[in-house]
Amino acid sequence: MASARDTSPLTGDAARTPVADGGGAQPLPPSGQPAVGRRTNARRPRGTGMGSRLELAILIGPALIVFLAFVIFPVVIAAYYGFFSWSGFGPAVDFVGLRNYIVILTDPAFHEALGHNIFIAVMSLVLQGPIALGLALLLNRKLRYQSIIRVLIFVPYVISEVVVGVGWSLMLQTNGALNGLLNRLGLGALASDWLSDPAVAIWTLMVIITWKYIGFAVILFLAGLQGIPDELSEAAAIDGASYWQVQRHIVLPLLGPTIRIWAFLSIIGALQLFDLVWIIWGQYVASTAGTSTMATYMVANGRNAGSLGYGSAVAVVMFLISLVVALLYQRFLLRRDTAGAVTGGKR
Amino acid sequence: MAVIDTIEIPPPREHEAPGQRRSGQVLIYLVALVLIGLMLAPVAYIILGGFRSNADITVDPSGFPSVWHWENYADVLVSPVFWQQVGNSTIAAVATTVLVVALGLMAAFALSRYSFRGRGLIYAIFTAGLMFPMTVAITPLYILVRNLGLTNSLVGVIIPQIAFALPITIIILVPFLAAIPHELQEAASIDGCSRLGFFWRMVIPLSMPGVITVGILAFIASWNSYMLPLFLLSTESTFTLPLGTQAFASQYSVDTARVLAFTSLSMIPALVFFSLFERRIVGGLTGAVKG
Amino acid sequence: MGEVRLDEENGNHMNGKKLLAGSAGLVVAALALSACGAGAGDSSAGSDGNVTLTMWHNSTTGPGKAYWKDTAAAFEEANPGVTVEIQSIQNEEMDGKLQTALNSGDAPDIFMSRGGGKLADVVEAGQVMDLTDGLSEATKTALGDAVLSAFAIDGKNYGVPTAVLPSGIYYASDLFEAAGVAAPPATIDELETVAADIKETGVAPIAVGAKDAWPAAHWYYNFALRACSKETMDEAAETRSFDDPCWLKAGEDLQSFLETEPFNEGFLTTTAQQGAGSSAGMIANHQAAMELMGAWNPGVIASLTPDQKPLPDLLWFPFPEVPGGDGGEGAMMGGVDGYSCWVNAPKECVDFLNFTAEKENQEAYATAFVTVPASKEAQAAVTDPALQEILKAYNEAPYVMVWLDTLFGQNIGNALNVAVVDMFAGGGDAQAIVDAVNDAAAKS
Repeated sequence: MASARDTSPLTGDAARTPVADGGGAQPLPPSGQPAVGRRTNARRPRGTGMGSRLELAILIGPALIVFLAFVIFPVVIAAYYGFFSWSGFGPAVDFVGLRNYIVILTDPAFHEALGHNIFIAVMSLVLQGPIALGLALLLNRKLRYQSIIRVLIFVPYVISEVVVGVGWSLMLQTNGALNGLLNRLGLGALASDWLSDPAVAIWTLMVIITWKYIGFAVILFLAGLQGIPDELSEAAAIDGASYWQVQRHIVLPLLGPTIRIWAFLSIIGALQLFDLVWIIWGQYVASTAGTSTMATYMVANGRNAGSLGYGSAVAVVMFLISLVVALLYQRFLLRRDTAGAVTGGKR
Repeated sequence: MAVIDTIEIPPPREHEAPGQRRSGQVLIYLVALVLIGLMLAPVAYIILGGFRSNADITVDPSGFPSVWHWENYADVLVSPVFWQQVGNSTIAAVATTVLVVALGLMAAFALSRYSFRGRGLIYAIFTAGLMFPMTVAITPLYILVRNLGLTNSLVGVIIPQIAFALPITIIILVPFLAAIPHELQEAASIDGCSRLGFFWRMVIPLSMPGVITVGILAFIASWNSYMLPLFLLSTESTFTLPLGTQAFASQYSVDTARVLAFTSLSMIPALVFFSLFERRIVGGLTGAVKG
Repeated sequence: MGEVRLDEENGNHMNGKKLLAGSAGLVVAALALSACGAGAGDSSAGSDGNVTLTMWHNSTTGPGKAYWKDTAAAFEEANPGVTVEIQSIQNEEMDGKLQTALNSGDAPDIFMSRGGGKLADVVEAGQVMDLTDGLSEATKTALGDAVLSAFAIDGKNYGVPTAVLPSGIYYASDLFEAAGVAAPPATIDELETVAADIKETGVAPIAVGAKDAWPAAHWYYNFALRACSKETMDEAAETRSFDDPCWLKAGEDLQSFLETEPFNEGFLTTTAQQGAGSSAGMIANHQAAMELMGAWNPGVIASLTPDQKPLPDLLWFPFPEVPGGDGGEGAMMGGVDGYSCWVNAPKECVDFLNFTAEKENQEAYATAFVTVPASKEAQAAVTDPALQEILKAYNEAPYVMVWLDTLFGQNIGNALNVAVVDMFAGGGDAQAIVDAVNDAAAKS
């Protein structure tokens, strides 16, 4: 099998064991089915291959065309500017080759930002995952006020990042609401420079990120949980498994693909993090407070410094880093899937 | 087809005492309540902040409104500009959502259930769209939209929004669609249903949780989208809600209290949309393959 | 387990894929041809002699917005056949939108600019109209060479100023009285004493919005103004590097000033003017006594007071003298706001700019924006007591330098501002500021 295509999660999941992941099928009698099933699978609807080609074109065509035109194409042009020194006005004429890239890769400020991004990515998974899972499991059962609670958890995600930034800045400023409240309650000793103290700031950022995006994780997990038939849990419960045992050994493994997709989106999102940091910390304090990200570095040294060519180069570097992470992730995903992740999920 | 051949279920444990279980439940509820309280505190801050004046917020940041400045909210609610922006935002968000779901679902279906050369490549292209910061691509994008004559119109905002929302939509939908068992597809084709018919009649209802989820995400992304409309829309009559906050921020100062009031009101439609649709994140494959 | 694929499907699929790829490629190519390169913008002169001017300014609200509406209407009346279309754009977004618009070949005819290195970049790209011959005599007399020079590049003029915004220290005189301070400080030592006195009354001596960086940087600029001679500063603007030792001295002066801890607590997370909780807000609510700021401050402070009226006890004194420097006594630093014409704008654009410089319009400007007009003839319209003191100092100043970050251009200016904030945060020293500027060129 050509290896290039194997790096996509598709060839792992969909083609081989479509039912095993994501759940949703009854245990069917084995024996004999596999080969026959596959062949039946491959039988195309009656009609010529033309029908199939046309189907494909109709299905993927519109999305692909819109995407190529409005995303890929501008991105490629933007990346091209990375080879220039360009103030943004007029055509880009000062070709500098790889100089921008060399400067970026040797700049300690960029290394710092990258380090922060990695920290944020890891901590996002660690903090949001368990909490969101717990909440999703909780909200999946018949609960009073189930709907309302779901809405309330989702509210932070609905608020635009700009407003979140404004609100949190007001609250976390050294002379802001949180310190004011602590003082009022007599807990003034706990009041700190939540935003500007390098030891504290990154944790403040993690709290804010968790607060904002946990709703996203919960809703994704909830949707994934819908694909796990109750019959399985009921069967296990009849056999005497407790609630938590059922969750651990049946539900979680079947939720695997959803969790992995969420983790992927979370990591990529963490690598691209910009709005929250920019609005709450501003570009300058971001570096002194230890919360700079690659994206804030990009805007601070790019657009805001009138060096759009440099900014484009940073964007390309960010893209390449994200791409490497994505490829590694999908390779890892693939290995897990082929090892039969459904069986116990303990591997 | 060997599906789930071994699921390890540990030997049955002794039944827990009923009292223990109940107190465990209460603990869970309590924890959930505390969590939710913490989540909503900042939101409450934003909403209450809209009832105060700028001086109040500066002098006593953590205080309750002493004088309730209803006019901050009232002024927004009676302003025709606000409602016009609500209308524009709604049009943009609904159009974006419908089209993203449609295009994304079709593409995800093809990517997850057809096999063809280049499938991995196309999936990778869509994924790649997530990885490039859009603030950099905005200049060429603006030129493109302008050359198509779509600046200053909602269409010019909707189409790029659809494009940007496609990666996450497809990434989420593919595993959901892949999970629909092939037995269903076979059964459908045995009954004379074409693959597209299968798509229309069975896939969509069965993947509802995923579809609703991506629909909600697309709506919210469009509702809160700031940068794209900022660059593409210059006539005030086309402004969407996020751009409306500009009216409260002049060159040298920001009317914080009014901004808080304005944005508190802006989040309501998105929340309404969410609460209408989240109930529908149920069902899916449960019972679909029974008997 | 491998996928089982029948060969004929293989072929079909490949063709399907090719069809898809082909059509996608065609569409993209078509778009590429259309999007590559911006066409030259079309002039907005209609065939029937009607001219439309588009104008972008940054007063999204209040009397400023009304001022431009009225002025445009007056211009249209005086010039039949000319329409002025105005758009107000939020200040923070103005640069980005303008740059994108200029790139696409569809720029506004009249746009805000502040001179200095930033304008020089736009001029270099050939996007600004040369106004040297278009300026009327009336305009030149009213504004004077010194003010007009802010918009001069290589001896040619590229914009008409509307306001001058010198910086100095605003203070709440009531708080001074309460602390027993008799007169505003004239030297830096006196300032340190005053700050200490005020601290004892429980009020923050000086508010600075270091989160936005430039308010902190302004302290450095002013120390540099006192330490360096005009010639040195002009030369640095050319070479864009800090070679003279006076720059180091400025940093050291700032460092020792910082050590007396004269600023408000949490200044690193305080914004300058972004509404509640900003440094301007602190002055407006008497939480801090002093602020180093430009001439737009009275208007900003007025919007943040409890009754949203101008702060009654707001007064002003110039940045104190610092011993041992080469700077001229009484020299001031300040910005200049103004407007420029797009290179493809109709000639009526120049007429509009000359119109804004007329006495009547400048007086209205001064009133609407509560600021100091660029035109000397309109100075009588300034009524705010703090602004009047500024005017006095301004008219007596031997020279006025433009903000260093505007002067040096965005790239260097940005690096300079970051380095100063580092020093405020206790991270960098005077040498680090010099190094940051000299290294900034590498990242352009």
